[in-house]
Amino acid sequence: MAREDYFKWAESVLDPSKTFEKPEALADIKIVELCTLILGPSLPAYLSELGATVFKVELPGMGDTMRSLTPFAKFFNGAAMGWLKEARNKYHLAIDVRVQEGAELFKELVKRSDVVVENLRAGTMDKWGIGYRQLREINPRIIYIALNGFGQWGPYLERPSYDAIAQSESGEAWISGFPDKLPMKAGIWLADYYGGLVGAVGVLAALAHRDRTGRGQYIEYSQAENLMRAMDWTWLYQHFTGKCRERYGNRDVSICPADIVPSKDGEMVAIGAATDKQFQGLCEAMGKPELARDPRFATHLERLKEENALELLATIRQWAAGKTYGEIDELAGRYGFGAQKVSNGKDHFEDEHLRKRNFTYYVDDPIYGDFYEEGIAPKLSETPGRIKWAGKPVGFDNEYVLKRFLGLKTKKIKYLKEKNIIGKWVDVPPGRKPPERWDGKSGILLA
Amino acid sequence: MHMEKEKSWGDWIRELDDPAKNREKPEALDHITVLDVSYANMAGCFCTSTLAEFGANVIRIEPPDGDPARTFSPWGYMHMGTGLGYLNEGRNKHHVTLNLESEEGQEIFRKLARRADVVVETFLPGTMDAWGIGYRQLKELNPRLIYCALYTYGQFGPKAACGKADVDVVDQAYSGVVSVSGEPPEDPQNPKPSEVPTKQGNWMGWYAGGAWASVAILAALHYRVGSGKGQFIDVSPAEAYGRCINYGITYYYGFKDTIPRVGNYDVGVFPYTYFKCKDGFAFLSGFADPNWKALCTIINRPDLQQQFPTIFERLNVDNMKVMYKEIEKWTTAHTYDEIFDAVMDYNKNIGQGVVVPGRISSPMDTMKAENWWVRMALETIDDPHYGEVTIANHAHKMTETPPRVKWICRPVGADNYYVYARMLGYGPKRLEELKEKGII
Repeated sequence: MAREDYFKWAESVLDPSKTFEKPEALADIKIVELCTLILGPSLPAYLSELGATVFKVELPGMGDTMRSLTPFAKFFNGAAMGWLKEARNKYHLAIDVRVQEGAELFKELVKRSDVVVENLRAGTMDKWGIGYRQLREINPRIIYIALNGFGQWGPYLERPSYDAIAQSESGEAWISGFPDKLPMKAGIWLADYYGGLVGAVGVLAALAHRDRTGRGQYIEYSQAENLMRAMDWTWLYQHFTGKCRERYGNRDVSICPADIVPSKDGEMVAIGAATDKQFQGLCEAMGKPELARDPRFATHLERLKEENALELLATIRQWAAGKTYGEIDELAGRYGFGAQKVSNGKDHFEDEHLRKRNFTYYVDDPIYGDFYEEGIAPKLSETPGRIKWAGKPVGFDNEYVLKRFLGLKTKKIKYLKEKNIIGKWVDVPPGRKPPERWDGKSGILLA
Repeated sequence: MHMEKEKSWGDWIRELDDPAKNREKPEALDHITVLDVSYANMAGCFCTSTLAEFGANVIRIEPPDGDPARTFSPWGYMHMGTGLGYLNEGRNKHHVTLNLESEEGQEIFRKLARRADVVVETFLPGTMDAWGIGYRQLKELNPRLIYCALYTYGQFGPKAACGKADVDVVDQAYSGVVSVSGEPPEDPQNPKPSEVPTKQGNWMGWYAGGAWASVAILAALHYRVGSGKGQFIDVSPAEAYGRCINYGITYYYGFKDTIPRVGNYDVGVFPYTYFKCKDGFAFLSGFADPNWKALCTIINRPDLQQQFPTIFERLNVDNMKVMYKEIEKWTTAHTYDEIFDAVMDYNKNIGQGVVVPGRISSPMDTMKAENWWVRMALETIDDPHYGEVTIANHAHKMTETPPRVKWICRPVGADNYYVYARMLGYGPKRLEELKEKGII
């Protein structure tokens, strides 16, 4: 009963349907983004969900290459689906920062902002006169983060990078996948999305420092190094044993049992027990309570020994093959071990639990229409995360932002347009312009 | 008269952010006290490691016989009584023991929480609440408290009360990432056991969960500066990792289909994959039109560019296979170094479009590469208790408040005397009493 009461209370304080009645944690923070693809743009997207105002600056015309990244070249209402994941909540500006007047506009934005995020090649911003060296002079409170493959100095300085390179050079690909297959590249842009995420930790830590001291700072960030930090026991293991960490498929060689096995009804089911108690529960569920007392399996350190682990995992695999996922799921709840079928986009879309929690998020966008996407990860009781709009075509918010935030006169804006300092989308390649069925006015902010 | 030549960007910034000078600089979070009661869960431990690396005073609270996570280690390898997974995430934390199931333990926890800024916990939802030390009770004692609970299915929603355990493999499976990772069967009639949805080798679900928890906690901390208010934070590591998905839900909504597993291909970018070469494997990319043209120029195959001029041709899986074979003809005729040099030479000297090359390194290769040591991504530190250890540092190099690792871990209860004396004024006699009662 006490637990029922707890869940009622938890839902009452976290209820996502009340999101827009509550304030935002980063409502006072403005971010200027000069980024392409994912590593850079994902960071302000995350912080925008927590309330930051983001000015995404692209080059007029083509804009961010990310506007092309979509599975099998299928666009959703004219938008690349990869781009939708990071376009949310941003103001989309197109300024040619490579020319002086464009760089001046960029600086005006930075003057009024708290954070700059860029992921260009090391030194590019400096060369354009809008790097940290110049920007800290006009705004000493600025927190500036530069994200890329290998950093701003060091032996790999000249090397360009991508997500897949960070995955392979860090060793992450090598330790993932099955021994009889090639090292595995994750099916997602792991080093990018996870890189932007941990990059955001640095920005917020810098903000905590600035909240106390008023001082901004510069953050240099390599996505390959970030993945190395996430490779748990790899470095200690290699340090102590001199052996290379290899790849071991779906079993976890450091937690036993933990594996992904087929069920009777053809699902792939992750099954795991991280404590003795969870393991005892699993043994009971399998109808083999004696296993938990067997000296080969009674303690975690015994279970982790290779021959014991192999035997135990084989037993579990055999048991699962005779049960449906529904049965395994029910037993896992009753006996308190971990079990979850491998879920895909369809499962997430249909999952009432994830919808309720705003992970599967419904967006009703004035330009791109209504749809569902991966939404909010952390739920905050006082300042819940949210998606306000899906994204905008290239340069869509130029006039509004230049007027509202920079106070430019209409004439000046017109002049900038005529001189191609600011601009809008091109029709080709796709993903830049508004969707075909756009009515020519929805979503436009009056300026 | 000669002007001093302006420093290159790289030299200028290195002087300011070189991690070799980390220890001369202040810490971003040294005003923050965190209580970490993670239990058998590395998402919680990674979250508080991160806060501790940025300077927070983290008090790591374990049950009197230690957290089961101390046994998370490959094949059970132990270093001085602690498994390597846990050892890696004990960073900068003070380790105390406290029996939260006892009333006296709960009372002590309440005292600690009164003066803490952050609590991180990973029990089944409602456990702390039933012990009288959940957010509901603690916020009455400390309205500024930020309380973060991590659990696969979260603190509310139809599955929150399911009772299933949070294990990394489960978080990875629920996230959706596993469904799109791994090799598809070469022969669909006879799939191999290794041609199945595949997880990342590391605890990626837990690390993503811990990272999102850190972001949320720091955002809440910023909100508290202005409002004075703490709050309750609910993080599911599965959702945290699922937020890293490229486009699963929208694709299903728009096209009533799921993204297939395509091994090392990418359904949204081609070429962007690993190729065989004379002496191993190389990564090559050239996706956007100018980059594709650059790649075709490097391998001297302008015909390929004409045959597959736009992304619509290049994102067709059948065409991908054709292009892959053609590119591979070139890569297999060269060593990795030849490929790397050819590409870098093009990027540097011709530079219309960019092709990105890379090597598939084993982590042992990675550990031998000088780059990571120069940049202190890897560092061998001399821990006061555990001796010489090699760790990966957080990637941030910062001019004012960089993260750093001061010690790697502590044995169970190693800081009991220090922490309880400093926070609660307990001396050796009181601690002895508590020990006898099984509280610490």
